[in-house]
Amino acid sequence: MRSPNIAGKTYSLMIWTPIKPGEEGALRAYLDGLDNGAGSPLAKLPRTHMARWIVVPDMPVAPGTDLRDPLGTQFLLFTSNLDGDVDSYLHELVALMAVEAAEVWGHCVGCPQPAEGVALKAYLHRNQVDSGVAFAAYPNASVKQIKTALDKRARLIDFAVRAQEMKPAERRKEFLEQFGAA
Amino acid sequence: MIRAALPALELSDIQGDILRAYGNSYDCASYAFVRIDCEPEQARAWLAGVVDHVTNAAPWSEKPLTTLNVALTASGLAALGVSQETIGSFSHEFRQGMAARAELLGDTGPSAPPKWDQGLGTGDAHVLLTINAQTTADHRRALAKMQAAMKDTGGVSVLYQQDAELLHGAREHFGFADGFAQPAIAGATEDKAPGGGVPERDGRWRPLAPGEFVLGYPDEDTSVDRARRLPPAPTGAMARNGTYMVWRKLHQDVALWRRTIAAAAARYPYGDARKLAAKVVGRWQDGTPVQTHPHGPDPEFDPAAPGANDFRYRNDLDGRRCPLGAHIRRCNPRDALDPAGKLSLRHRMIRRGMPYGKVLPEGALEDDGAERGLVFVSFQASIFRQFEGVQTPWINDGNIFGLGTDKDFLLGEPSGSGKMTIQGEKPFFVSPQEAFVVTRGGEYLFVPGMTALRALVDGTAG
Ligand code: HEM
Repeated sequence: MRSPNIAGKTYSLMIWTPIKPGEEGALRAYLDGLDNGAGSPLAKLPRTHMARWIVVPDMPVAPGTDLRDPLGTQFLLFTSNLDGDVDSYLHELVALMAVEAAEVWGHCVGCPQPAEGVALKAYLHRNQVDSGVAFAAYPNASVKQIKTALDKRARLIDFAVRAQEMKPAERRKEFLEQFGAA
Repeated sequence: MIRAALPALELSDIQGDILRAYGNSYDCASYAFVRIDCEPEQARAWLAGVVDHVTNAAPWSEKPLTTLNVALTASGLAALGVSQETIGSFSHEFRQGMAARAELLGDTGPSAPPKWDQGLGTGDAHVLLTINAQTTADHRRALAKMQAAMKDTGGVSVLYQQDAELLHGAREHFGFADGFAQPAIAGATEDKAPGGGVPERDGRWRPLAPGEFVLGYPDEDTSVDRARRLPPAPTGAMARNGTYMVWRKLHQDVALWRRTIAAAAARYPYGDARKLAAKVVGRWQDGTPVQTHPHGPDPEFDPAAPGANDFRYRNDLDGRRCPLGAHIRRCNPRDALDPAGKLSLRHRMIRRGMPYGKVLPEGALEDDGAERGLVFVSFQASIFRQFEGVQTPWINDGNIFGLGTDKDFLLGEPSGSGKMTIQGEKPFFVSPQEAFVVTRGGEYLFVPGMTALRALVDGTAG
């Protein structure tokens, strides 16, 4: 059967792990301290479209109803939309993001100690939850292709705006210089 | 879809100027932000005197010379002695306040809170008194009365006051008729449904559920499913007949706007500066929609006439008539994003702004250094979903409209794509994007109902 986590060439990964009681604050503080720009640990995984950690304190009430539906403990949710297959991605995760991964999942129940290598990878695999719906805005484009396209779009917009004031010959010359090869 | 019958709106318990505008006979307004420096009991004694004069939404037999309305910030609720537990039941963004949400709102650079007018965005503004007056004399009298009441009790004072005045023809400073496109609300303004309500597939329009704008009533979500709870609202007396208010002072650099449009129009192959400006706004200066009249304004156009606002974007999905990024198309895409307007109906707001400052003389192209702009006021049940849901993804970004990082050219600043696309035979790019509009300050407020105001005075609001 087709994996519910696949949309085109992308994979929707979800990992759901209970946080050790009493360690929620330390985990939150660590996550808060991470850079979310170019210095983000997730930037070390170049196949990542979008990824995040969320601390889920509870789900006291089912949405839109008065029914109580508590979790019993706080959970850490990790989601990532990635290019290609999940196994090699987790392999890269434990290798390239080793320090942060150990720190983050080290706060979770059942995480191997030390939290590293094949043992950590197996732990993450074990706690994976299938997606209800996998969605990718551009299912057949890789992160690399999207970045190249965005760069090209920015250059094309810049050119298009300036080209309004160019003579045809000049316009043609600059277009070929900038975009002719592609 | 079966819609449950809606309960009647308790007009005499809802403050005035929300569901229906006081109207253009009120020429002058003052927004007085009051700071409380005394114990809650003393502040409540002052508020008691104010509440007696608050204007509600019950129909008038005769227009009063002045009106008075009250709104509170989260720190204002605390200063009046409302418990932290009750304050905790208000929406997250309201409790945070506008300044804390600056990054999200695009209030950065010259619009950043440290540059705001002193007194705004610091937590010191507690109560907002809005006074509307028919004449300057009435206005002066109302202000004097307000000051005298504060002197009597002591411990409360005006921290910041912004006066505003209607410009000739209900224009805003860039020269456009403003303020007439408003949501049509069931039980209050059904007459505005064509163009103001929800565009239905069969060509008809229906008014919006009142809970989109007043708390304690079914909204667009809960009105289709009786089993659901009413929309989120604070606990206690403030759960009913109140609403959230956004107040923003937006400076307008009129000379910069005129120069930019004039320079771009010199290159625009399809018309003059007036047409280009109309494409940016989505309306001609007199208010005629470019969607219905792409070539020029309709001399007969009357913004107050029923149906003045009755148009859709379905026959213009490529933006040849009204550009995809025009201000009014972004702020209320109607049926542009889906045939039944489902993607825009939860993001409507009631606007009650007023211009401040003197007009820049016609034709002037150099800034005179004067302060002028728009006091933007909106009312909605959810600041996050309605005001911020327009400001952040629709005004400050273009992705949902297929416009990449184009911002609203009228309100944006240069950090996006730096241009606006006018769709056409050949697209035209208006550039450069300048910061025509700069935020001078603002607050998120709550406008309690009349019973709730009295509970605040009695100290029984929770
Ligand atoms: C200085 C700043 C602004 C100026 C000069 C301005 C100007 C205008 C004008 C001329 C109109 C058309 C007249 C009308 O429909 O009443 C309009 C409509 C509108 N504006 Fe603005 N505006 C400003 C800021 C904002 C902001 C900050 C928002 C929301 C976050 C906003 C939301 C709207 C909405 C919802 C409409 C009605 C659209 C419709 O229902 O068709 N405006 N504005």
